[in-house]
Amino acid sequence: MRNMQKQTKIFLILFLVPSVFGFIVFSLIPMISAFYLSFTSWDVIGGAPEWIGMKNYIDIFRSEEFYRVMRNTLKFITFYIPSIMVSSLLVALLFDRKIKGMGMFRVLLFIPVLTSWIAGAIIWRSVLSGQYGLMNNLLALFSIKGPAWLTDPDWAMIAVVMVSVWKDLGFFSLILFGGLRGIDKTLYEAAKIDGATSFQVLRRITIPLLTPTIFFVLVTTIINSFQLFPQVMVMTGGGPDGATQVMVERIYTYGFRYFEMGYAAAMAVILLLIIVIVTIVQMRLQKKWVFYE
Amino acid sequence: MNKKLKLENTGVLVVLFTLTFISILPFLWMISTSLKSNGALLSIPVEWIPKTVSWAAFIKVFTRLPFIGALANSTFITMTSTTITLISSSLAAFVFAKFEFKYKNLLFTLFLASMMIPIQVTGIPIFIILTKLNLTNSYLGVIFPTVFNVFAIFLLRQYMKNISNDFIEAAFMDGANFWQVYWKIVLPMSIVPLTTLFVINFMNYWNDYFWPLIILSDPNKMTLPVLLSKLNAQYTTEYNTLMAGSLVSMVPILIVYAFAQKYFIAGIQEGGIK
Amino acid sequence: MKNLMMKCCVVLATLVLLVACAPAKEENVQIKFMNYSSNGGNEDALEAMVKAFEDQNPTIDVVIETYGYNDYFTQLATRVAGDQAPDVFELNIENFRAYADKGAIAELDSVLEDNDIDVSLIHPKALSAFQIDGKQYGLPTKFSNVVLIYNKDLFDQAGIAYPTEDWTWDEELAAAQKIRALGDDIYGIFRPVQTWEFYKTVVQNGGAMMNADQSEFTLNSAENIEALSMMVDRINVSNVTPTTEQMSGIGDWDLFISGRLGMIVTGIWAFGKFTTDCTFDWDIAVEPGIEEHATHFFSDALVVSADSAEKDAAALFSAFIAGSEESAKLRVEANWDLPVVLSEDVIADYMAVTPPANKQAVFDSLDYLVMPPSLEKFSAVADDLQVYLSKAISGELTAKEALDQAQATISAKY
Repeated sequence: MRNMQKQTKIFLILFLVPSVFGFIVFSLIPMISAFYLSFTSWDVIGGAPEWIGMKNYIDIFRSEEFYRVMRNTLKFITFYIPSIMVSSLLVALLFDRKIKGMGMFRVLLFIPVLTSWIAGAIIWRSVLSGQYGLMNNLLALFSIKGPAWLTDPDWAMIAVVMVSVWKDLGFFSLILFGGLRGIDKTLYEAAKIDGATSFQVLRRITIPLLTPTIFFVLVTTIINSFQLFPQVMVMTGGGPDGATQVMVERIYTYGFRYFEMGYAAAMAVILLLIIVIVTIVQMRLQKKWVFYE
Repeated sequence: MNKKLKLENTGVLVVLFTLTFISILPFLWMISTSLKSNGALLSIPVEWIPKTVSWAAFIKVFTRLPFIGALANSTFITMTSTTITLISSSLAAFVFAKFEFKYKNLLFTLFLASMMIPIQVTGIPIFIILTKLNLTNSYLGVIFPTVFNVFAIFLLRQYMKNISNDFIEAAFMDGANFWQVYWKIVLPMSIVPLTTLFVINFMNYWNDYFWPLIILSDPNKMTLPVLLSKLNAQYTTEYNTLMAGSLVSMVPILIVYAFAQKYFIAGIQEGGIK
Repeated sequence: MKNLMMKCCVVLATLVLLVACAPAKEENVQIKFMNYSSNGGNEDALEAMVKAFEDQNPTIDVVIETYGYNDYFTQLATRVAGDQAPDVFELNIENFRAYADKGAIAELDSVLEDNDIDVSLIHPKALSAFQIDGKQYGLPTKFSNVVLIYNKDLFDQAGIAYPTEDWTWDEELAAAQKIRALGDDIYGIFRPVQTWEFYKTVVQNGGAMMNADQSEFTLNSAENIEALSMMVDRINVSNVTPTTEQMSGIGDWDLFISGRLGMIVTGIWAFGKFTTDCTFDWDIAVEPGIEEHATHFFSDALVVSADSAEKDAAALFSAFIAGSEESAKLRVEANWDLPVVLSEDVIADYMAVTPPANKQAVFDSLDYLVMPPSLEKFSAVADDLQVYLSKAISGELTAKEALDQAQATISAKY
């Protein structure tokens, strides 16, 4: 038996080694370095980082920019989360129907997920362009004059939200669909026999049973929202007028364009704290609404 | 009843058609753009469907650009990375799902927390570490970091938790060692989430841009996204070539997804994400 | 199950050692050369230059790495930070200062002297742009300036005379309006409203972004305000310049190439692309000024990394690309900017490559060059100023308000 235990120990270690190694080398050490850098001034290309204490943090909280970036992120979340939740739930419910040829829709709707941001953004830049863009041409058919999506500060973030929903819809609707398929169908039938309407079934049975999956999607989309980057970088570059500047975009700009890595690292630490806090709050709140069997 | 169902199904199809059409409209425009000649690209009014189909962009992609080489590099890197991710994650997930050890929860929480750090911050430290390991400008430098993948560990752990302990205990009774249990029992039983992860990771690694750009300086080792981004130049963009290249580069993931689609969904369904 | 973590660490440490000890050796003299300026059309020309060099120096292998401008500096900074800088790399004037100040690039005088490398063919004006305290840190490969490029066909259609060196903004505007009248989708002229254009345009109007000793910003001077309103009016009042919406996502070069733009003020590095892609006749003229002529001076130089193990080969290579008649001729052939080696031979070749027919304008422009303000944080200042320029374009602020606010913010910050 002793032998068995020893064997277990060795195997456990060996099994964990690749991941723990990767974690230490590619996550933990870089994280600690970033934390250290956030207290320094470092211009990347020359010399060693210079210790400056809390200065970066003080500068960030004193800057107008930080609050603008937070407002922008909040604006993104306010529009993105409800849109992606509702639309992917809708699509998932449709997917759940037993109709021939549904597999084709699942493949086609997944195409945006597979498209790289570089190509996707270039397409969208032209779709959304003010005068000749596809979007405004379509709107014009209904006598609606579309805004200059990407160059109007009021609309640019909305445009980023639209494009993000386009890109993510296929993925999250599949995840929710997976959740739906896990629900025992006899429950539906029982409810129907009791005279429940489709809407009642949805509200009383489907949604509650789907809450674990919904919770997963919610946590993931919120983390993604805080890490919003590629779509902004390739579509608006933070403009117009700073209206789409968000945390990771600022981190990149300070770190790699202005070569102020210390300042960028401090922003990253703040971002990390925000994400951790938001996630903990969500974990706490989940007990109130997420239904586990 | 039957009539009502039919009507409902028609409604579902109409909605799905509309949504799908909107979803793939940009994609259709990609195809249309890729088939335009240089002159037709900028014509006013816009040619939604090119008047004359020109294959020039595709020809350029395959002849003038080192496209084939980049395709080979991307394929190699993506396949290796995905395999490594699946192996290392399933090993760890097995341990997290079925065994107890000190600091297990702490370790797992730390793992999850690391998901929240954007690469733009850890990029330079990781690059410096890879430099010290002599791994810059090598495929290994791009592949190596994929050994740690929290999402994969998380998903697999959730799934493996549901594998009955009876199977595992019975195997140990029969004198199987850890590796055998993992290889012969746990892994085959996890084929569904593994397929899901294969698709997701294949897609992510295939489209990854930041790392290959920074690590692989040798032009012969360039991957597809890096090559394609060069077409988006400072003063001018060759839209048709860029779109043609993007389309061709999407084909492999599209194939992988189309084949794995059923498993992919089952993987999410069967207790994976909960 | 105790100490599991501990043991993991031990195993890890061993692994790290194993990996770290993997040897890496080079046998030939190989130098890595990273550049951005050949991306997007001149890759073949650069390759021809490198090949010419390798033919002369068979012991040296040059590995070319070309990146788009947008990615280049991210790549470069990361590699410099990781001690993996390429032996030779390209820098423009704005970034040159920062890299030299931080000690990332090697001083070249001694290397050049030790190896008897001659750079005397290089134009002194370009050479001096890459000196610090009289010491050479970079070898310029090409000059660029900015000229007025115009679509002859559109001028003919509008029935107006071609631009000349005597033109000012007034004649330019008059012509642009006539061309704009040719069609809803045809525009007169493109001059972007951004920091780069701003510092030059204000000089044309007798103003400046900073005072003479570059110690203070003078963003909201009367001359600057006037210049900015002229720039903005071109978009919003006369609309001879398209708004961003009217551009609808296509680039200014692409607009010109599509034949829907009468004039564009842009760099001479556009010649190659325009020659191959334009289906109409075009030519160039010295850029019109407001009160006086002023045009951009750009130059890209090759620098040698301070950490390079092959400084001699690297310097030899840089000198060849920058200062040899051979590479200058290849550059001329490709219509890729103006080489810094301006021997009679090269000039004759340069003049012979057309379009544009009026290549003399490129040389004439050399008399009116202005340099960007020498600021360590130029790109940060440029971004900040851009915010206010955009507000002036959108009409949210008047030119005066925009520059007053820009002056206040930027002076406080830098």
